[in-house]
Amino acid sequence: MQGETVTARQIDPPEFRYADELDFLAAADEGRRPPGWRLTPRAVVTFIAGSGGVPVAGPDGKRVVEPKFVGERALVERCVVTLAGERGLLLVGEPGTAKSMLSELLSAAICGTSALAVQGTAGTSEDQLRYGWNYALLLAQGPSAESLTPSPILTAMATGAVARVEEITRCLPEVQDALVSLLSERRISVPELSGQDGAVAYAAPGFCLIATANLRDRGVSEMSAALKRRFNFEVVPPIADFDAEVALVTRQARAAVERGGAPFAVDDAVLETLVTAFRDLRTGQSAEGWEVERPSSVMSTAEAVAVAASLGLSAAYLPGPDPLSLLPGHLLGVVRKDDPADAARLLAYWDGALRRRAESGSRMWRQLWEHRDVLRD
Amino acid sequence: MTDPRARVEELAGHDRVRLIGVRHHSPVLAAAVGPLLDAYAPQTLLVELPAEMQDWVRWLADPGTVAPVALAAAGPDGPRAFYPFADFSPELAAVRWAQRAGVPVVCCDLPLDDPAWRDREQAGGEEPDGPTLRGTVHKGLSGRAGDDLWDRWVEAAAPGSPPEAVRRAALAAGWALRHDAGSAVDPLDLRREACMRGHIAAASGRIAVVVGAFHAPALLDGPTLTGIPAGGAVISLVPYTFDLLDARSGYPAGIRDPRWQQAVHACGATPDGVRAAAHGFAVEIARDLRTHGQPAGPAEAAEVVRLADDLAALRSLPAPGRGELVEALQTVLAQGSPTGVGRGVARAMRTVLIGHKRGSLPPGAPVTGLRPAVEELLAALKLPGPGDAYRRMRLDPLRSPTDRAREVAIQRLAACGAPYGHADQGGGETLTTAWRLEWTPAADAALAVAGLHGVTLDQAAAGMLAARRRRERDAGGSTAEQALAGLATAAACGLPRLVDRRLADVRQAVCHAGTIEQIVAALHLLRRLEHGLLPGLTDFPSAAPGVRADLHAAAVGAVAGLAGSTRVDDARALRDLVQTADEAGAVLRLRHEIDALARAGSPLMRGAAAAVGVLLGHEDPAVFGTRVASWVDLPASEATDRLRGVLSIAGSLLQAGGAPLDPLVEAVDGLPDDEFVRRLPALRGGFDALSPADRDRFLATVSERHGDIGDRLPADPLAVAGWLAADRAGLAALTALGLSTAPAAPQAAPREPVAPRATGTITAQERWRLLLGRESDKLSEGRRPLATALDELYGAGRGEGAYTVDGGGGGREQAYPDVRDWLEDLEALFGTAVRDEVLARAAERGRIDAVLAADPDRVRPSVDLLHTVLSLAGGLPEARLAKLRPLVARLAADLTAQLARRIRPALTGIGTPRPTYRPTGRLDLAATLRRNLHTVRTGADGRPQVLPDRPVFRSRGRRSVDWQVILLVDVSGSMEQSTIWAALTAAVLAGVPALRTHFVTFSTEVIDLTDRVADPLSLLLEIRVGGGTHIAAGLRYARQIMTVPSRTLVITISDFEEGFAVGDLLAATRALADDGATLLGCASLDDRGRPRYATGVAAQLVAAGMLVAALSPTELASWIGDKVR
Repeated sequence: MQGETVTARQIDPPEFRYADELDFLAAADEGRRPPGWRLTPRAVVTFIAGSGGVPVAGPDGKRVVEPKFVGERALVERCVVTLAGERGLLLVGEPGTAKSMLSELLSAAICGTSALAVQGTAGTSEDQLRYGWNYALLLAQGPSAESLTPSPILTAMATGAVARVEEITRCLPEVQDALVSLLSERRISVPELSGQDGAVAYAAPGFCLIATANLRDRGVSEMSAALKRRFNFEVVPPIADFDAEVALVTRQARAAVERGGAPFAVDDAVLETLVTAFRDLRTGQSAEGWEVERPSSVMSTAEAVAVAASLGLSAAYLPGPDPLSLLPGHLLGVVRKDDPADAARLLAYWDGALRRRAESGSRMWRQLWEHRDVLRD
Repeated sequence: MTDPRARVEELAGHDRVRLIGVRHHSPVLAAAVGPLLDAYAPQTLLVELPAEMQDWVRWLADPGTVAPVALAAAGPDGPRAFYPFADFSPELAAVRWAQRAGVPVVCCDLPLDDPAWRDREQAGGEEPDGPTLRGTVHKGLSGRAGDDLWDRWVEAAAPGSPPEAVRRAALAAGWALRHDAGSAVDPLDLRREACMRGHIAAASGRIAVVVGAFHAPALLDGPTLTGIPAGGAVISLVPYTFDLLDARSGYPAGIRDPRWQQAVHACGATPDGVRAAAHGFAVEIARDLRTHGQPAGPAEAAEVVRLADDLAALRSLPAPGRGELVEALQTVLAQGSPTGVGRGVARAMRTVLIGHKRGSLPPGAPVTGLRPAVEELLAALKLPGPGDAYRRMRLDPLRSPTDRAREVAIQRLAACGAPYGHADQGGGETLTTAWRLEWTPAADAALAVAGLHGVTLDQAAAGMLAARRRRERDAGGSTAEQALAGLATAAACGLPRLVDRRLADVRQAVCHAGTIEQIVAALHLLRRLEHGLLPGLTDFPSAAPGVRADLHAAAVGAVAGLAGSTRVDDARALRDLVQTADEAGAVLRLRHEIDALARAGSPLMRGAAAAVGVLLGHEDPAVFGTRVASWVDLPASEATDRLRGVLSIAGSLLQAGGAPLDPLVEAVDGLPDDEFVRRLPALRGGFDALSPADRDRFLATVSERHGDIGDRLPADPLAVAGWLAADRAGLAALTALGLSTAPAAPQAAPREPVAPRATGTITAQERWRLLLGRESDKLSEGRRPLATALDELYGAGRGEGAYTVDGGGGGREQAYPDVRDWLEDLEALFGTAVRDEVLARAAERGRIDAVLAADPDRVRPSVDLLHTVLSLAGGLPEARLAKLRPLVARLAADLTAQLARRIRPALTGIGTPRPTYRPTGRLDLAATLRRNLHTVRTGADGRPQVLPDRPVFRSRGRRSVDWQVILLVDVSGSMEQSTIWAALTAAVLAGVPALRTHFVTFSTEVIDLTDRVADPLSLLLEIRVGGGTHIAAGLRYARQIMTVPSRTLVITISDFEEGFAVGDLLAATRALADDGATLLGCASLDDRGRPRYATGVAAQLVAAGMLVAALSPTELASWIGDKVR
């Protein structure tokens, strides 16, 4: 993998992006590691949750490890301990709570690659979770190890790496259940190859599985009880801390805009307003504790980043109106996904919490209140 | 900045004073206290208890005292302080040690009579750790919410350490907290510490001080305070229980999971002991889950244990602490769903980790507590106490302060469950209250129970009510009813803190799951609170305006759920709601909903919404008037219901005449005679929503507009109707032939605006008398039968003026003695179609004789009629039911046949295999070839070769009984049309071979009618309506009869006004969804798709995995078809 010459990637996977930090941590902690792990469990936690501003001593000097995942340290610890026990880890939570990022970070830190992933969709078949065939070869040569196409999971089993299944609940239940025997027996038998080498593929030590799932979304199928029992569940909550969320939105939106070479010129106050509105609508309760009608669409941090980036881009390329005036339109775009009543709920938010804030004299909110007309249908 | 180490060393190393900084409940310190004191062997022991409790230390330390117990102090003005003790309380361990060692104990805290206590808002029982270093802990240690410094530094790290190390760690934690607090220490605390220093200085020899860790750093130097006299507070030692000791019970000075703490203490806080305890609890919780039907075997317990141990190792702890155990349990068992499986886990954790241990006092301990306090209170208020004769009293709590105190005391006794006062008069909002007061033996018994919760009446009442609230929460959260009742009780008992909590409940339960009536009731209750009409509460709670605003917001959401309502009560609730919203200035959003209702609601709600629009000033009265007038031409029942809706809300607006009324009057006057007569029954039904007095006023308004005009008709109405029909037919024939109709033209000529524009021979005046059903005696001879026939149906009306024997009522002809005559008359006067309509309406009003008289073959089958007939059937004896059976049989058979024709197409062919890319083992050769033709290439031998890249398979055919459809039908309120549709649909579904259809009705009880599902007649007659709504019970039954969850459709037909805990409902829903069953909630199942349902509950159900929609039977069938295919 090191030999690949890649000039630029649109998104850098963590194993490349933090390659030197991973090497540093691998060298820094000489403690006992679970079989197949590149880092000690404690170093994995440090890599993901940061070293809390304290420099970590390594062979080539000290360095501070920045947190990559904003959230409870205890959550990361539980994930790491679960994986160290070679048990399946299922990360659940609302869309946009950085579940996938957490699973990528975990797999990159543990086995050095986050690439062994299957994306779950309604069209995902058992082949993609177990193995498929190169049918041309199969017809020409009959069943053999060459004509078998391993799934990422089979590859992970063979190499003792971490396999990831994204959006597992989007797979149909009978496809999901292909994982049950795999997780309990830790082997895949290939009946077509019986009598040959590789008729049974065994999991090498270190193999484990991270799955992610959205609970509150359309078009998901329930997991069977048997499969659930083979996973430890971790709920990844939306970011609890307001300041942390503002910082994250600012950082990522800035990165998104600056990647295109444009300056990011959205006022912090606007971003704070944006995040406040998202949090109000997400939790169904305003920062002041007033009830807010929750729209059925998901108001995730990821959506907030997207809106902030849009504001930044329009400020950079189409300068003109006050970014604040664009906010209601963007919010409407986020909210109006499937339930037409959601637009009315957003209007209710404007007439309720937002109006009260405007009346209490906050300038930002007063300006926003004045743009209520955008929401009228 | 001082070096923490040096400072801790200084605190720990004092040679005369041995400081033991503690938290009131700390198993590791409680275990360490004995060895520490043994090692130091002090001559005096000082504990942090107020001086008044000095005499009680002996009873506390008595070997016969079984913890948990609590020391409570109460003064004349109420409770002062509360100190619960368990075996794992370091103070109790220290006092017991002193008793054994014969060392004197001194209570060194500030006496409770000191004014400093009173300056603090809530006296006693404060946590010694004061402000926490939560921020630091969050970042540095675990980041878990709710973690505190003490737990991490002392409790979790201590097992296996020598007692002295634990003492130093505790002192360090106390110093850190103190340092964090800086100069912001409560003045009371400073004064208490000065007092303790005084005691330290006064004591001679070596002394040990067991004191809150927060205070310890301040005890070695500083000003001293001595000579404060111990006051007259009444101290009681009472037994306590573990479930009250748990911090979540809401009692002061509690701790989480007492049984865990007890176990840690019992093993002496050794690492192996703690680990064994954690393992034991993990197994116990898994077992508890199993007994509740949740799969959790030894494998899961083992994983919990492994995870907890590994977490402890990762965090460098000697043994897993409570935090690690809880984390492991949730990760492994709760499956990320707080409403479904997670609820069961939380319940099991509560059962196992809190425990039920109950303390007791040694024989001979003085009797104290609630009973003497109550007697004293009654005597002070001059109310009859034990031994006194009963008394009747009238209280005026809103004016007299004494009466207010009495009222509150009576209410609080009632809250404690003590039968003492009986309200002499019920109902109505009177300003005074009348009571019959008597002390009963039952009151004694009740107070013995309530005494657990406190030693004064207000403490005990608050405790009892809080316990009730906690039980509700354990059962899945308070229902809207419970929350409202709880709020009213808490306010009546004058318990502001409980009122605040109950307000939160109201916000939670009513705002999220309340029906519109409950929302209106809540708003009403809040208004009473605000105006101080509930005597117990003097101040308007600060949270109330927020709750009110939320209620308004919730009301907006609930309005959408009214769309299908056919109840006048709902229309009135809408009006009340709009009025309160208008006062609160919250109509902006409401308007949107009202508009939607006016566009797409049931006829009644459309009428009501239109009227509300005018009342709010959204709509121009003239436009509204035109709209109302246009309804006169609508089909009969539609017109009736819309008029009912309008009149039940805006009756007075129309009575006033003017722009809203004019178009209606013109439309009525402009109807041709025969048309008017045909429409008369329907319109009369609409006006029936007004009370007789209102109708009189209405008639007066209309008469004023028309002026009095002679109103005699020469011929009888039957003849006139006949003539007119003939005349019209002739006119139609002429028009059809293209002949001139000029003579008809003058009819359309403009008239004077005020003059009545009656088109036919029935004068305007008479028309309105007929419509309003008043002044029948002034009708002309020929019109009277019309009025009589309709009066037979509608009677004199209800409400104001119904019983007065004036104009309208007097001089009426004899009512029909035989219902057959009436039906015949109806047919003759109005025609067959109208007769059926009137018949249905009569059945609706409970006229069973009318239904029985009807000829089964002559009625038009409609669900409306079947609905009304069945509503009556419920209360009939079998003999009369037999007569009804042919009619129901005919209706059911016809309707089922009609429905089957519509539904069948959606369900045909569900057993046929379809092509799929998913490997099933049955290759579809033709499709594979077609799909892979692009891969054809010439092989080595020159023949074309296909390389099948994407094989196509055939899905398994489903010939046999494969899918289970469970129809759960809510029969709680009344026989809803949805119920009938459900029964008919079930009958059709039962005929589809690939489906196994179950028909289950539920109210508070669940009845499985599956054996009758093929026969709609017996199914319909078997349904018994009534009772409360318990959807969760129905869902649980469905879970029992379900065989293969992934092939099961559970369809719930209900208005979702759950009468039990919503949390339970969500758990039941979640459980089914977790099993993999497909869930659908039908807010209504009828041809109109206008549901009436509780939107709040429905929204939560959607989140729990049940789709909720309003469907027609055809849509339902095609949904089933889609799912099954």
